[in-house]
Amino acid sequence: MEPIVRVDEVTKRYRLGKQNYVDALRGASLEVAPGEMVAIMGPSGSGKSTLMHIAGCLDAPDTGEVWLSGRRVDGLRGRDLARLRGREVGFIFQGFNLVPTMSALENVALAAEYAGASRRSASIVAHTLLESVGLGDRMRHLPSELSGGQQQRVAIARALVNDPSIVMGDEPTGDLDTATSDEIVTLLRRVNREKGTTFIIVTHNPEVAAACDRTVHMRDGVVDGQVLAVGVYPA
Amino acid sequence: MRVLRSVFRRKMRALLTIFGITIGVLALVVMGSIAEKLSLLVDGGSDYYADKVIVSGTSGIGGFSTEPITTSLIDEIERVDGVARAAGSVMMLLDPEPSAVSMGVVANIQASDFRELGYETFDSDVVDGRALEPDDRGVAVIGADLVSKLDAEVGGTVEVRGREFEVIGILGKTLTAPDMAVQIPLADAQEILVADLPAAVRDTVEKDTLITSIAVYLEEGEDPDEMATVIGQEVDDVSVMGPAGFETSVKEPLKIFNQIIYAIAVVSLLVGGLSVINTMTMSVAERTREIGVRKAIGATDGAIMRQFIAESAVMGVIGGLLGLALGALVGIAGNQAGAQSATELFLLTPRLALGSVTFAIVLGVASGLYPARHAARLNPVQALRYE
Ligand SMILES: Nc1ncnc2c1ncn2[C@@H]1O[C@H](COP(=O)(O)OP(=O)(O)OP(=O)(O)O)[C@@H](O)[C@H]1O
Ligand SMILES: [Mg+2]
Repeated sequence: MEPIVRVDEVTKRYRLGKQNYVDALRGASLEVAPGEMVAIMGPSGSGKSTLMHIAGCLDAPDTGEVWLSGRRVDGLRGRDLARLRGREVGFIFQGFNLVPTMSALENVALAAEYAGASRRSASIVAHTLLESVGLGDRMRHLPSELSGGQQQRVAIARALVNDPSIVMGDEPTGDLDTATSDEIVTLLRRVNREKGTTFIIVTHNPEVAAACDRTVHMRDGVVDGQVLAVGVYPA
Repeated sequence: MRVLRSVFRRKMRALLTIFGITIGVLALVVMGSIAEKLSLLVDGGSDYYADKVIVSGTSGIGGFSTEPITTSLIDEIERVDGVARAAGSVMMLLDPEPSAVSMGVVANIQASDFRELGYETFDSDVVDGRALEPDDRGVAVIGADLVSKLDAEVGGTVEVRGREFEVIGILGKTLTAPDMAVQIPLADAQEILVADLPAAVRDTVEKDTLITSIAVYLEEGEDPDEMATVIGQEVDDVSVMGPAGFETSVKEPLKIFNQIIYAIAVVSLLVGGLSVINTMTMSVAERTREIGVRKAIGATDGAIMRQFIAESAVMGVIGGLLGLALGALVGIAGNQAGAQSATELFLLTPRLALGSVTFAIVLGVASGLYPARHAARLNPVQALRYE
């Protein structure tokens, strides 16, 4: 089957000054099948976030190819990239990734509005999604009035609001305790099964990785080992 | 609503910034109200002086002199070619020593020999009672702005320079000079004028020949400024002023005065604009991560730009409206306080109100442009890494 994400020999260099630079990615490759739930693990600084940003159209690579849903996207810039990630990709970050002055409902609706929905219809979809993540009674709360787990549920609802084909999570459970982390993973898994949404989840937590179909490891800017969960990754 | 919440996320800072704009607009509205009032007065003057020549004593500045001249000049002027009519009048300060610094027109006494009838086109309507007539003595018609100061009503009396006058009429508001005038019969005015003269001169003059200025009405087609020169050459020892003279002696200085007033107000508003730039820049810096998140969930550069410009525009709108409201209050309070002494200093015109608020909004938007552009151009990945 055609992979939904294909990152091929991608490099990314960050310049720190005239002389210094960091090679965040040095030829990283990754393929993810539709409906798959993949964990990315690896030491700090190994390029996990960078790879995820590039795969999610948040950034462009220096060299290499990036394909998303059958489209080549590594050459895209600015507005096109913004449009694509708004509709095709959902992002969940670690902690503090909601707009603090907006209610849960508004935060979720915002992503739909950025994708072109009217305020009214955005609000309706947001409503449904918040209910489906178990926050039907917290819609009007500001992020500061929600627990960490509840905030992450809002972020998940927001990531799903435009019905993306793929959701990227950068340590989505990094700030949460074990029990809450389990709840979040269960929720992600449920969405994955029910909607067939593809997930790429960067994590340091082996239990989170274990709940995924497959774990890839990164080291020094390359993906150095892909472990297939038995029977899930189609040949 | 969302914009308001974002703006007031840092309440104190937002309020102080808005207050900066408010003070600027307040200055613009208050100063502008004075300028508008003065301009209106002077425009009235321009109308009055547009088609005639004013002759007064040599000490006259811009045709406003209380130095006595004699009625014999009237005949002399009427003999000049092109002159249709010359009318004498007396003009004096109502209060010989004006109490405070005053702007605009000072309260004054006016009397005329009625020779201008049929020539003068500038009209001040009597709204209550009747106008003066040639044979009147001891009566007065009161200008609109002096009614409360003099406590005047038709049938009552007013005191003018220690003499009692019966009020026979009240003038309608013209928004220019006549509003500040008490019109009395010429003979009464001449008595007051003589009494003002030094004792040594007093006995040497015939009081019924004394006037302070002559309005010269011209034949059809004569140019008033050219005629002013001609009259100046043919009549000795007088100062002559045509419409151009009024322009240079009154309008030009006023224009400069207005420009200074507006410049001060605009500078204070620009300072308010700088504080908006400062606040927005801080706000963008604080919200770098939020901007990163917004971009990650699909915000285009344009959407981020619009958001921040909306925030600074809102500060301009609120600051502008508050400033306008405060400025209007200051004007009303000032005019009320001045009503007793008949010095209405402020006139808040619709164009001034609209202009001030528009300026504040434009300033808000302009001040937001640079910080908003900076926010819009943030690299989403860098912004997300920002702590
Ligand atoms: N915007 C940037 N500017 C400069 N260097 C960067 C930037 N982003 C990443 N890097 C560097 O690139 C390397 C990879 O960073 P990346 O964030 O992808 O690592 P990571 O695997 O996600 O680490 P962690 O587990 O700590 O989140 C690091 O050495 C990092 O310092
Ligand atoms: Mg990372």
